[in-house]
Amino acid sequence: MTKSNEYDALVIGGGIAGEEAALNLANIGYKILLVEKDLSIGGKMIHLSKVFPTLDCGACITTPKVSETARHPNISIFTNSVIEDIEKHYENDFSAKLVEKPRYVTEDCTGCQICEEKCPVVVEDQYQWDLVGRKAIYVPFSIANPRIAAIDIENCSLCGLCEKVCPAFAIDFSQEEKIHEVNFKTVIIATGFELFDPTLIPRYGYGRFKNVVTAMQMERQLVPTRPFNNVLRPKDGKMPDNIAYVLCTGSRDETVGTPICSQVCCMYSTKQAQLLMGALPMADVTIYYLHIRAFGKGFCEFYQQAQGMGVEFIKGKVGLIKEKENGNLLLRYEDIQEGIVKEAEHDLVVLSVGILPNTDFSTMFKNVKIEQDDFEYVNQVDELSSPAKTNINGVFVAGTSSGPMDIPDSILSAGAASAEAAGYLKGGKK
Amino acid sequence: MKKTIDVMKEKRKVSESVRNSIKSFNKIKKLILKSLESEEKTIPELAKETNTDIETITYHLMTLLKYGFIEAGDMDDDDEYYYYKLKNKK
Repeated sequence: MTKSNEYDALVIGGGIAGEEAALNLANIGYKILLVEKDLSIGGKMIHLSKVFPTLDCGACITTPKVSETARHPNISIFTNSVIEDIEKHYENDFSAKLVEKPRYVTEDCTGCQICEEKCPVVVEDQYQWDLVGRKAIYVPFSIANPRIAAIDIENCSLCGLCEKVCPAFAIDFSQEEKIHEVNFKTVIIATGFELFDPTLIPRYGYGRFKNVVTAMQMERQLVPTRPFNNVLRPKDGKMPDNIAYVLCTGSRDETVGTPICSQVCCMYSTKQAQLLMGALPMADVTIYYLHIRAFGKGFCEFYQQAQGMGVEFIKGKVGLIKEKENGNLLLRYEDIQEGIVKEAEHDLVVLSVGILPNTDFSTMFKNVKIEQDDFEYVNQVDELSSPAKTNINGVFVAGTSSGPMDIPDSILSAGAASAEAAGYLKGGKK
Repeated sequence: MKKTIDVMKEKRKVSESVRNSIKSFNKIKKLILKSLESEEKTIPELAKETNTDIETITYHLMTLLKYGFIEAGDMDDDDEYYYYKLKNKK
C-alpha cells in the first residue's frame, strides 16, 4: 500500500461499490485513495448473512473483495477518516482535506482482544445493531478490515487497563486528529445509504417494544457471529415461533418523507423468511405487504420458493402495533384483499425498513456544488447514457449514492463509474 | 515509562454517565453470576429471582455470553427458553 499525497482517483466510501470501483481502477494501474468513515471497510454488505436470490453467504462474497482491496499495491486506504473541502481547480486537478480521526490504537494491534476482556465499560454494540453490549475498546467485528481495535473515547473510563495489558504495546492515547492535504484527478462518490429510522413511525412501537426489531437486527441474528445464542426475542430471550414482517416501513410513504420504493425490502424479507424457516423449523412466518416487487432475475422464483416453504404473504397495510403483557405483539392491519380491518398476534415483529440517501457527500465540496436529485441522492445528469456522471465533470457516482439498488446493481454501477473515471483520466471526457 | 493514558487524562475527564454505566453493568453482572452459581436458569427465572426488569437481564446476559462468562444450555420443557449456566461449571 502506498501513502503519498498524489493520487489518480479519490474513492469516497469503502462499501461494496467503493471497493469495486477502486479495484477496477487500481487493476489498470491507477493510484487510488479510498476513504472510509467507519472503522472497517466492507460497508453494510459485510454484516449480511446471505444474499438474495441465490442465498450465497454474504461474507464469503464480500471478504475476498475486502482483502483484495486492502492488499492492493495501488490502493491506499484510510478508515475512520473523512474527506472535506474538495476543490476542483482544472480538469484532472482536484484537491481536498483528508481528516484522519484518532483510533488510539496503532497498526501494531494484532486483534488479540485481551484489552476487550479487561475493559470495564459496556455500551451498546453498533455492529450488532444495539442488541448486545461491547467494550469501550473493541475490535469492530470479527471480519473487520483492518482487524485493529479502536477506543470509543467518549465512553472510555480512562482506567488505562488496555494500555497495561496490550502485549503489542499498540495503545496510544496521545494520538490526535491528522489532516492531510491530498491531490487527485478524479472522484468517485460511493458513500452508500442509510436505513430508515422506524422511531419516526411511533405507531409501530419500535424503541418502546423490544420485540419489534428492524430487518438489520434480524439479519444479525441470522449470521454465525450473531448477538445471541440463537434467533431469540430481544425482550426476554424467548425463541419466537410466530414472526411477522411489515414491509414498506419507511418506503413509499410520503407521511415520513420517503415516497420511493427501496427496491430491496421485499426480497431481503423473503430471504430472511426462508432463513428463519431453516433456523426455526417450527416457526410460522407472515409477511404483510402492499405489493411484492420481485423484478430482478430469479426474484419471482425466489418469492414462489418462499411461498412453497410455507411463508404466508398477506396483502395488508399494518396500521398499529400494540404490545401484550407477555411481550407478544398485536398487529392491527387492513386486509386489502378482503377490504376489512383485522388483528393478528405475533411474538416477534420485524420492520422491513427502507433505504435512505446518505447525504454526507453534499457537504464535501468547497468551490463546486454537487447536485442532488429530488430524493437527495446524487443527481445523475445523464442517467440513460452515462449513469455515473454527475453535474461536476470528473466526479462520478457509484452504487446506492445515486438511488436504492441491490448488491449486483451496485457492483454494476461501480463498474460504470470506474469506466467513466478511467475515460476521464485518459482525457476522453471533457 | 510514562503511559499515554496520562496524556489523555490531562485532556479530558470521565463523564458521569460512563461512571454510572460501569456501576450499573457491574451490579447486574454480579446479580446474574451469583444467581447462576446455584443452578442453570432461564431468563424469566433470572429476572424473577433478581427482581430485575427482564429486558435488562436479557441484554446483560447476552453480553456476558458474548464475553465468555456464561454459556447456553438446553431448552426448557416448552421449547421456549434456553437455560444459561456459568461457563466451565458442569
